[in-house]
Amino acid sequence: MICLALNKLTTPDDARALLQTAVGVEFGTLPPYLYALYSIPPNTNADSSLLIRSVALQEMIHMCLACNILNALGGSPEINVQPYPGPLPGDIGPNGTPLTLHLLPFSKEAMSQAMAIEEPENPPDYPVKTTAALGDLAQKAVTIGQFYDALDKFLATLPAASWTANRNQIVDDQFFPGQLFAVNNYADAHRAITQIVSEGEGSSEGTVYNPLDFQDQPAHYFRFGEIFQERVLTKGPGSKLGYAWGPERFAVTWPVAGHVIADPGSHDFSKEPAAAQAAQAACNLAFSSMIIALQRAVIGIEGALGEAVRFMFDLRMAALHAFSVPLNSGQVAGPAFLYVSNIVGGK
Amino acid sequence: MSVLETPRIYFKGQVSWDPVTTNNYSFNYDETNCTTILPKDLPSIQDDVQKFREDAVTQIVTQGNWDPHGTYRSSFYDAAVCGFDLGMGTSTDDPFSTSAVNFSGMLVDLEPFGAYTSQLFFDSMSFGVPGGYCIQLPRNSRMTARQINFGRNISKHAAIAGIASVVWATTFAKDEGLQINALDSEILSKFNEALKADDVLGLSVRINAYRTIYYDNAALTNGSDAMKKEAQALATKIANGGFQPNPARSHIVGVLGLWRTGEPAHEPGDRALVQVGANPVVGGGAARCNDSSLVIDLSNSVPEIDEALMKQDLGTLSVVAVDDLGTVQQTLGSIPYTSYDRSAYEASAGLVTLPLTPGILPKIASLNLQVNSSQETILREQAFRAIPMPPNFYLDQNVPAEASFQVYQHGVAAGSGVNFQLNQMSADGSTVEKTIPMKTDSRGMAKLSLSGISAGITAYVPSFTPDEVPAPPNGLNTQINTYMYVRVLPADLNIAALPPTWPNVYRYVLSNWNAMAPCMDNWLRLDDPAQIRAYTSILKRLTDPAAFEHFRFMPITRDMSVGMRSLLYLWLDSPSDPEAELPSRVRLLKKGRQPSALAMDEDEPSLSLESMTQTELSRSMRGGVKGN
Repeated sequence: MICLALNKLTTPDDARALLQTAVGVEFGTLPPYLYALYSIPPNTNADSSLLIRSVALQEMIHMCLACNILNALGGSPEINVQPYPGPLPGDIGPNGTPLTLHLLPFSKEAMSQAMAIEEPENPPDYPVKTTAALGDLAQKAVTIGQFYDALDKFLATLPAASWTANRNQIVDDQFFPGQLFAVNNYADAHRAITQIVSEGEGSSEGTVYNPLDFQDQPAHYFRFGEIFQERVLTKGPGSKLGYAWGPERFAVTWPVAGHVIADPGSHDFSKEPAAAQAAQAACNLAFSSMIIALQRAVIGIEGALGEAVRFMFDLRMAALHAFSVPLNSGQVAGPAFLYVSNIVGGK
Repeated sequence: MSVLETPRIYFKGQVSWDPVTTNNYSFNYDETNCTTILPKDLPSIQDDVQKFREDAVTQIVTQGNWDPHGTYRSSFYDAAVCGFDLGMGTSTDDPFSTSAVNFSGMLVDLEPFGAYTSQLFFDSMSFGVPGGYCIQLPRNSRMTARQINFGRNISKHAAIAGIASVVWATTFAKDEGLQINALDSEILSKFNEALKADDVLGLSVRINAYRTIYYDNAALTNGSDAMKKEAQALATKIANGGFQPNPARSHIVGVLGLWRTGEPAHEPGDRALVQVGANPVVGGGAARCNDSSLVIDLSNSVPEIDEALMKQDLGTLSVVAVDDLGTVQQTLGSIPYTSYDRSAYEASAGLVTLPLTPGILPKIASLNLQVNSSQETILREQAFRAIPMPPNFYLDQNVPAEASFQVYQHGVAAGSGVNFQLNQMSADGSTVEKTIPMKTDSRGMAKLSLSGISAGITAYVPSFTPDEVPAPPNGLNTQINTYMYVRVLPADLNIAALPPTWPNVYRYVLSNWNAMAPCMDNWLRLDDPAQIRAYTSILKRLTDPAAFEHFRFMPITRDMSVGMRSLLYLWLDSPSDPEAELPSRVRLLKKGRQPSALAMDEDEPSLSLESMTQTELSRSMRGGVKGN
């Protein structure tokens, strides 16, 4: 479980700091999800690919929404790259030990990690149990949802003058129709936060937990859960909010373990074949270019989001290629999501 | 189709449209030969492609080419079930209400220069979520646009196709993977029950798309300074680099209902209510009766009058049945404004239900339905309709084929011996080139043999009476006529016979789409022979004619000839030639191009919307002269 440090909120600066953490959290979830997604062997696990991709896209939207709130409050979002393995920014963990995120190829372990990232405060114990490892993580703590809830409550107390309309906003006129909107006031910020939490964790009606988001789609935790459990999250007949895993199977073909290395950022590629080194370099170049463009986009540069998306596609192509290039061991490695600063226009 | 009977489900939301628009212009694209018209005076084919891309960006401002970086994708968003009808009126009291409606398709015009032949190629549609209340609908046939209404938006705040609305329809076969998870939903249970009937083939969906806006700006009008400013901003954005799609978006209302034997798969086959007069007040509709009710589909009919989408108040409408002389034989009911205003329209997808007097059904079966405002008749039934199968037909040159027209009389399949005329028309629908006499068989069908001798695009428009004959200058009238479009792709035997080298493959095949669709750079570099070879198996799978209906079929525009495909495959199957297979220099990110190089055309021609013919209106929504 991700448990974020929640400092006392008393000033707009506090809120801006918290929002910067939120930007980091949303962005920081992407590399683990994308590593698992891109590692799925071609022509396999179409349904799993679809689910993971849908979550990754929503995390990108969440990051943009968090940037929009921060911009509306006069802040300047920063896109910071974190190392993997490593914790998400602000994560202090349920017992003072943050969750160390790894770049894991598509596997039960990767889905377990994803569920841990998205885990709500009191995850429902549906009839087919989650794993013991996940059970260990199910503790009361300041989850991402609680983090946003505290932020939302504080934002509600800010005077209207704290908000600047139309400041450096990213909207949906090119990408993500209907999902990305400008934040011009508290009402918009509240809507954004509700969307982020709902899509990530689901929602509660009193004491009854609803695993569906505001669009009646399974929240992220449960999308990963479907893959992990290999069962479709299924509504129990006659019960408004009662669900179970299955009985319908969610088809998953787990790839052979060990073919794809984990945490390529920790791997020494200097002794690997030139092709593998080149593949890593291409990934890093595309990722770094994307970061540069994204940074420009979140501070309001017109057209920069389109540049970032273009580099994101480059990263995808580079990643798919990297997963096909053998290392000396016969294994393969995907993108390490490393930022290289010596490219034109670097940060 | 019987979305007009119950049970039926209503939904509403929005849809984004992101087609590449560069092929809407005859100076960019040859729709007969299926080739991109590249500049020819440059040192290499790569320069030609690069220049073509740059010109396409310039044309945003000078020609209204509003989406050169389009992806062809169209997706529903904010779309959800909003009600249902079990035969007792519109209700929302069911757990299935509010379920999301999911759809994503590729928007392709068979005839790219006009607005008559839009299609959505897709794999599936769904309502709700697997594991919960849901309807999963694998594709039976592509979604087809018909009955475009050029008079729908009279708010004066409309640009490009913003004046129009259109009916989209398709069907889903119950034996092809259609699944309904009803749980405790009454409406879904009713559907499951209804699907058991032998004469129910599956489900049909009918959607009305309206209030289309561009540049995410509902206030734009053609030729305005604001439009020029938006166009310039997009051109600048693209010139500065990156991937810069510019999707349009529309509102939609829709209805999901049953599909019965004998009903068309892709457009309404109900009793057709067509608009009346030289200056029609409303767009056409449809109607269906049973023993106790008459349902009128006004989803494509009543105009919106302002940006807030208020419906035009035509007062209380009366519905009558008239004989061939126009004499009223039966009065059927009335429709107050509150039954067709914005609120009612969005709640029940434009469908209006009137109770019928018991026993009246047989009396009106052969009469013509008519809808009157207090001033005039606004809709009148067209007794005979010939609906083509398929509506948009792709052929390969020199491969003969047969198409059918199913004739309906008052919404029911006609019998044998019904004569009508098939008007073979020019691709823009303006000119009748030839007339073909047709006669129905015992099933009410008439066959048309297509030789496929010549490459090109042809419209076939049935007419039953002199009034319906499409005549210049207006030609094909989408509100009156049904029609089939046939596109014969050239054989390109000369291309097939070329040596299978990379230069030939690029010049005669891939450069067409490398120039026209920069979005492809995101998925596959068509100018990179190594990458193309690496994707050989995927490329063959995606370009296989057997996958023609699939969402991911390539090219999305469905305009690769047999000869082109043959050359491409020969090259893919040949050994690599490193010396010949050099990547081109085409780049999406072209740095150094200055926005100031994009000239504004202050003299962009335009016409009065009121005086434009349907052909001109159709062309204006693509590459033609815009209306104002």
